[in-house]
Amino acid sequence: MKKQSDIILETQDLCKYYGAGDNLVKAVDHIDLQIRQGEFVSIVGKSGSGKSTLLHMLGALDNPTSGKVFLDGENIASLKTDNLSKIRRRKIGFIFQAYNLIPSLNVWENIVLPLGLDGKPLDEAFIEDIVETLGLTEKKRSLPNTLSGGQQQRCAIARAIAAKPSIILADEPTGNLDTKTGDEVMALLKASAKKYGQTLVVITHNEEIAQMADRTIMLADGQILSDGKSSPTSNEAEEVDDHAEI
Amino acid sequence: MRKSNTVFHLALQRLRYHRSRTLLTGIAILLTTMLLMAIGTVAVAMLDMNRQMAFDSDYHAIFKNLTPDQSTVLSHHIQVEALSTTEKFADIQNGKMNGALIYQESVRDNRYADREEGPMAPQLESGHYPEAEDEICSSPTFFRRIGTEPAVGGKVTLSFRVDGKGEIQTKEFTISGLFPDMEIDEGIDDSRIMWSAHVSKALLTGYKEKGLYQPELSVYLRVYGEEDLTYDEMEDRINAVAADIGLAQPEENVILNKQYIFFVTDPDTETMMIAGVICLIVILFSALVIYSIYYVGVITDVQEIGKLRALGASGRQIAGMLYCQGAIVSAFAIPTGLLIGFLLTWFLFPLVLYAYRASTLTSIARDAADALFGQIHMFSLPVLLTVAAAVAVTVCLSLLKPIRMARRISPVEAIRYQENSTDKKTRKGHRQVKVFTLTFANLTRNKRRTAVTILTMGLSCVLFICVSSVLSSVSAEDMARRNIEKGDFRISLKYNNHDAEYPENNLDSLVQKNYFNDTFLAQLTSIEGVEFVERRYGRILSSTEIESALYDACENRLSLSYFTRDDVPELNANLKQGSIDYDRMTANRELLFTHEYTFNQYGLSIGDVFPLTLYDGDRKIPFTASLTALSESESIDLPFLIMTEDTWNELGLSYDPTTDIYLYVKEAQYDSVKEALTEIVAKNEYFTLYSMDVEMRFGRAQVGLTIYPVYLLLALIAVIGFINLINTMITSIVTRKKELGILQAIGLSDRQLVRMLSGEGLVFTAGTLLISLTLGNLCGYLFFLWAKEYQFMSISRYHYPLWESVGLVLVLLGGQFLITRLISKKMEKENLIDRIRDNA
Repeated sequence: MKKQSDIILETQDLCKYYGAGDNLVKAVDHIDLQIRQGEFVSIVGKSGSGKSTLLHMLGALDNPTSGKVFLDGENIASLKTDNLSKIRRRKIGFIFQAYNLIPSLNVWENIVLPLGLDGKPLDEAFIEDIVETLGLTEKKRSLPNTLSGGQQQRCAIARAIAAKPSIILADEPTGNLDTKTGDEVMALLKASAKKYGQTLVVITHNEEIAQMADRTIMLADGQILSDGKSSPTSNEAEEVDDHAEI
Repeated sequence: MRKSNTVFHLALQRLRYHRSRTLLTGIAILLTTMLLMAIGTVAVAMLDMNRQMAFDSDYHAIFKNLTPDQSTVLSHHIQVEALSTTEKFADIQNGKMNGALIYQESVRDNRYADREEGPMAPQLESGHYPEAEDEICSSPTFFRRIGTEPAVGGKVTLSFRVDGKGEIQTKEFTISGLFPDMEIDEGIDDSRIMWSAHVSKALLTGYKEKGLYQPELSVYLRVYGEEDLTYDEMEDRINAVAADIGLAQPEENVILNKQYIFFVTDPDTETMMIAGVICLIVILFSALVIYSIYYVGVITDVQEIGKLRALGASGRQIAGMLYCQGAIVSAFAIPTGLLIGFLLTWFLFPLVLYAYRASTLTSIARDAADALFGQIHMFSLPVLLTVAAAVAVTVCLSLLKPIRMARRISPVEAIRYQENSTDKKTRKGHRQVKVFTLTFANLTRNKRRTAVTILTMGLSCVLFICVSSVLSSVSAEDMARRNIEKGDFRISLKYNNHDAEYPENNLDSLVQKNYFNDTFLAQLTSIEGVEFVERRYGRILSSTEIESALYDACENRLSLSYFTRDDVPELNANLKQGSIDYDRMTANRELLFTHEYTFNQYGLSIGDVFPLTLYDGDRKIPFTASLTALSESESIDLPFLIMTEDTWNELGLSYDPTTDIYLYVKEAQYDSVKEALTEIVAKNEYFTLYSMDVEMRFGRAQVGLTIYPVYLLLALIAVIGFINLINTMITSIVTRKKELGILQAIGLSDRQLVRMLSGEGLVFTAGTLLISLTLGNLCGYLFFLWAKEYQFMSISRYHYPLWESVGLVLVLLGGQFLITRLISKKMEKENLIDRIRDNA
């Protein structure tokens, strides 16, 4: 059992409402959640259950209607935009379903972009290691529009990891990929997070991916329906891990 | 639902969905239409106003120095529509008044068969033209200025010199008629106005019979065909008429009424070409604005078209949908633009007339301006249709791009399409990415788009700089400086070269009086407010014993002056023939000629040697010099013949040859100095005072009529161009909202966003400035040359539009700074997630 001080991400009574009156939509409704350092959490639920909204608030991309989000003990809901930007580039790595790479920059530049924005010196050995781990060594100079979906998502993963953030938030990272590539990407993501000791929160529809996680939170109508340990078969987990290490 | 309805419905929905882009496109089309319509309407109004004003002097040309026989032949010439002769009979001698007694006769006017006097002869308000030998008519102001009550039947005594020569005669005249009153503003001295009074044929005949008057005839004429011919053809016809009657030296003796002919004839090829080039620049600039807005949105279009094609839409339907979109936006934007463009001019143009009215000097000019209020025809259906068609075609052409791109690639590729103008698969890139890298990566990602944006912004500024170049060259001060080369006042010695009857008025006699002596200059300097007094280069008279057409034409007296070593670069810059070497010219006592036309007219050539006599007061100095250079400078006021300053000093003149002095005064005491100077000048009959305020008023009155509409045009171009520029900048940012959102999601702070966008803006601004200051100035200079050729607004000297250029730089920098700030502020308020999902 991990200690309370290991908690890196926490929400208290978190709400996000849209509209008013009859049109009021409770996207996230009074969610209390705690995620520990190094944990791999999957968030599942039907479309419209509030998964993405929750993830956006966890990643300081969206403001809650009420409630608090603590990142490393700091309530990020009360921070100014410039501080939020700093938090996003230092503590959070984001992976989108649509990759969202910057089309004018090549693979390497996309990966080192958060570091550049933060003015941090570049740990080239570390980045080269990520690039190699994610199998992008040959593609460093390629522009995003010349890459396959899997390669683009691997580039997005590398970008999310590059700044050594404490948390990686991934919104359906395999949603645009075929099963094989999806599995491959997910295994790489998990392996990378493990390798660099990062917390991983993944939204997914894919049950297999959910089962790869240490813990699965199920959402329905903006509320937590269940929050429990995932139970992947030990074989599957090992298989994925082995694959990742290749 | 029918197919076409589906396409229309789809187009409508897309317009609604991409609201901000629809709005920006709509604004661009509206502004472009407005600009074109406003330019067209101002042009129509200007032409009409000038046409109406030009009718005040509706002759086509003046033929000077005709013989009576030539005049008779001319009056029967088949091409001549109307003819009036004018004879300058005598110079009026009334103090410092500058004027002439003239005889004018309308010989023939086939336009007004039922009227004796056509408009070529001024209409009288009362009385009749002089018939009896002692009759005279003029404007009431003329009579008032010479101290007589202006009334028909009244008596007036005038002194005059027939032909400007011989003894001064004094005669009592009876006023037979009065022209409409022409009040002239107070403060304008008699000497600065060319007065004229009409006398009778009987008076002239009397003098002719006594052999006291040799007429020098001038005629005002109109030829047939102003409705059908072009400017060039009219000029050819007039010159042919002059050749038919054997008019001597037609280059000098035929004076075309260029402005009138210009406005009544069809434009010639050169004018058409220039107007065409201006229209093309405007249309090209407008096309680029609209095109660039469609172009920056092309990614979204290509992706959406891909989706529609995947769903089964045919290429034709896609094209129909996009054209439909363009048509819907245009249906609102074009008519609105046409209306606003027209109304803007319609409301603002009267201000032009107000401004002109304020600059006029005479009541006649004011009346003419008043008469034009509400009378100017501004609407032109061809202009309206051309503008609407030009904009509509531009919109269609701009839409071709996304259609072509979407057709070129498969539907699936189209769905995934990402903007990239090159086929490059890789990018060298940088090891580290900074905000600066992002800025340049974005600018170089699609070089064509960057170029289109810069070109769009640049062209609107080119237009501005181009018009500014002409406007800054239209300078009332330039005109004023023709009479006061420097300083604020000029006191000029009025002298004759060779007056046999009154030799005391000749320069060689006057210099002996030493009017501009040190005591006089000290007296002037002691006036409170006078900063300093400067003598102009002196002049002395010269004559020659050899046969010289040049000297013969000036009664064998020509003034001579000098140039300094400092003047050499300016003279060299305008060198036409020979060479200028100050030291050589001093060593060899060489002369420089300053007027090309006269040089050619009198058959001079480089190497001509003149044995001269110089008149230093009562002393005669023999001086032989050869002509070694011909240079014509507009900025240095010099007589035809000049020598070097060192040669001049070697002459060892005994008298001060100063003919003019300039006074520099403190601005605050200008009026009191003027008062004191007026008093001093009044005491000496040979002095004429030129003051800057009066000269400026003359200058302004001369340019006022045409300069104000152009100012209006410039203001419209500036305002509309600037809004268009802002529109272009906003478009280039708004269409990348999603990308900017992603950057922010991965940690780009607001401050960094502003820096990044400012960087882009700076590159756009720098590119824009480069285009506008190079192409703009080049076009501006060509426009200036054209304006000079046609004496448009009396332009003579090119002035670089410095303040306009500085203003442009400031507005561009300020504008882009402001826009970047405003947009990023606006973005801050928008939800980041919404922006990342944004597809507009």
